[in-house]
Amino acid sequence: MFSDIAKERFKRFRAIKRAWFAFIILSGAFVLSLFSGEIASDHPLILSYKGHYYFPTLKFYPDATFGGEYRTEADYVAMRAPDSAFHKAGGWMLLPPIPNSPQHSYLDIAGNPPFPPSRDHWLGTDGSGRDILSRLIYGFRISMVFSLALTAVGTIVGIVVGAIQGYAGGKVDITSQRLIEVWSSLPSLYVVILLGAIYGQGFAMLLVVLSLFQWIGLSYYMRGEFFKLREQPYVLASRALGASHFRILFRQMLPNAMTPVITMLPFSVVAGISSLTALDFLGFGLPPPTPSWGELIDEGLQNLQAPWLAGSAIAALFITLMLATMIGEGIRDVLDPKSLTKLR
Amino acid sequence: MSTAEPLLEVKDLTIEFSTRRGLFEAVKGVSFYVNKGETLAIVGESGSGKSVSALSLTRLLPEPPARYKTGSILWKGEDVLKMNYERLRSIRGGQMAYIFQEPSTSLNPVFTIRNQIAEAIQLHRPEVKDIDKEVIRWLEIVGIVNPAQRMGDYPHQLSGGMQQRAMIAMALSCKPDLLVADEPTTALDVTIQAQIMDQLRELKAQFHMSIILITHNFGIIGGLAERVAVMFRGKIVEHGTTAEVLRNPQHPYTRALIDCIPKPGVRVRRLATINHDALAE
Repeated sequence: MFSDIAKERFKRFRAIKRAWFAFIILSGAFVLSLFSGEIASDHPLILSYKGHYYFPTLKFYPDATFGGEYRTEADYVAMRAPDSAFHKAGGWMLLPPIPNSPQHSYLDIAGNPPFPPSRDHWLGTDGSGRDILSRLIYGFRISMVFSLALTAVGTIVGIVVGAIQGYAGGKVDITSQRLIEVWSSLPSLYVVILLGAIYGQGFAMLLVVLSLFQWIGLSYYMRGEFFKLREQPYVLASRALGASHFRILFRQMLPNAMTPVITMLPFSVVAGISSLTALDFLGFGLPPPTPSWGELIDEGLQNLQAPWLAGSAIAALFITLMLATMIGEGIRDVLDPKSLTKLR
Repeated sequence: MSTAEPLLEVKDLTIEFSTRRGLFEAVKGVSFYVNKGETLAIVGESGSGKSVSALSLTRLLPEPPARYKTGSILWKGEDVLKMNYERLRSIRGGQMAYIFQEPSTSLNPVFTIRNQIAEAIQLHRPEVKDIDKEVIRWLEIVGIVNPAQRMGDYPHQLSGGMQQRAMIAMALSCKPDLLVADEPTTALDVTIQAQIMDQLRELKAQFHMSIILITHNFGIIGGLAERVAVMFRGKIVEHGTTAEVLRNPQHPYTRALIDCIPKPGVRVRRLATINHDALAE
């Protein structure tokens, strides 16, 4: 499956401690964040009521189930109170480690929000009384999913476009390259604002619009790689065997052109997180109740007297981007052909 | 000339390249033919147009800059220059296979030998079920020791001679009617050259296939090629049976090429130079 060179490179990547630990921490945090619903939520993980067990983080239960009168979802925050009817009926619940939902406003605290860090809200709350830690976790998940999806789309399109340009060469290359240059000079921010205004803001919308521009950088590298590779004798040998263009491009040449792709991956993730945060900060990103880091930083700016707001968001952003950059630098060092030689 | 229709017949082929300095004719009105089971050697110095002619047989030259100006390439009576892309692909490899000069770069560095030969088999012989077995069989035929183990190797793990054997196995595994060997031994050292030529001789007898052997070295064609065509500056200047040409070369260029073959025990002070201007036209 993997060539010896790939195995050797993986070994060398593991030897770069900083990059390897960054990789473990970031990917571990991402996998954990996929279970945000079970980590940070005001819904109990397990709830026992009158001899039955319920799993509110996974399933919807109406208020009526637990002796209430409404068919809307049960108010688990109210049920938590020691003197609630739920506790009097002998029920108990197991809460997630962070028992706060990102979109619930906790206003039953003395004073006005934003509330400073406390035992209930480890990083305090924002201006609407929403738990910051919970919002950070959900914001991390959305940032990562968004930038990974953006990277995936951008990488695939970048590979395909660059590969065809480099392989075809000639008029195809010159024409498409000029078109790409025109395209890349479009200001992407304005396109986001414009299309957002027409079609409404949203995750899919943002992903599509940013994807339109994300692939351009990689396509330049791939074009160069394929220009170089198409002169290789094994490409001629493959043609002489009767292989189709598709097979030559993606089976014979692409595996030899993966270095720029892999090198750019982590930096592309970094760019994705940054642009989503920036757009959210400006208010052109995800629509308001969505927990996002940019929105948190914006709120921190409006509430400068509450440093835990901007502070925690900026720290989270800083740590994530630093980890991703460390991974990227590690991969770059591993793929650097100069590191194989003894000449330094 | 034989009465049976030749397997491959090239008639009055002219190939020109458009370069920065205008048009350049690399091949000028060349005609030759190959019968079934026969070996034709095309001999000439570098730049004489022999490789271009070889690549043109299945239209492997990049077009542009290459352009087929005149002539036809008849493969079993069908003109290659008029075939569509799909038809051409089925001929490439499946009926006319190539081996190239530089085995180290003609194999893809990221795949094992097994994968590369398997790919050739999958392309042209979809009926083969046990691909591994077939790969091993062909590696054995081309004389690779312990093929079951060596087929998991990457090209860089093989020696030059073994790489070229793997290339030959890859070309032959599609069971072509014609093998075009473009300078198959040039990149190898002399003892390996002899081994590879012996191998080709054996394979030719075993599979009764036609071979076009392209080389600049008159020394290696003996015993393999029945006929030889000498190419010089894009033209075939001499054409005849190997024995005839070697014994009694007509063209001064042929004579000069033959004089280049080292003979044991003979001290040659200086090889003759070719006066291009006197020979041209």
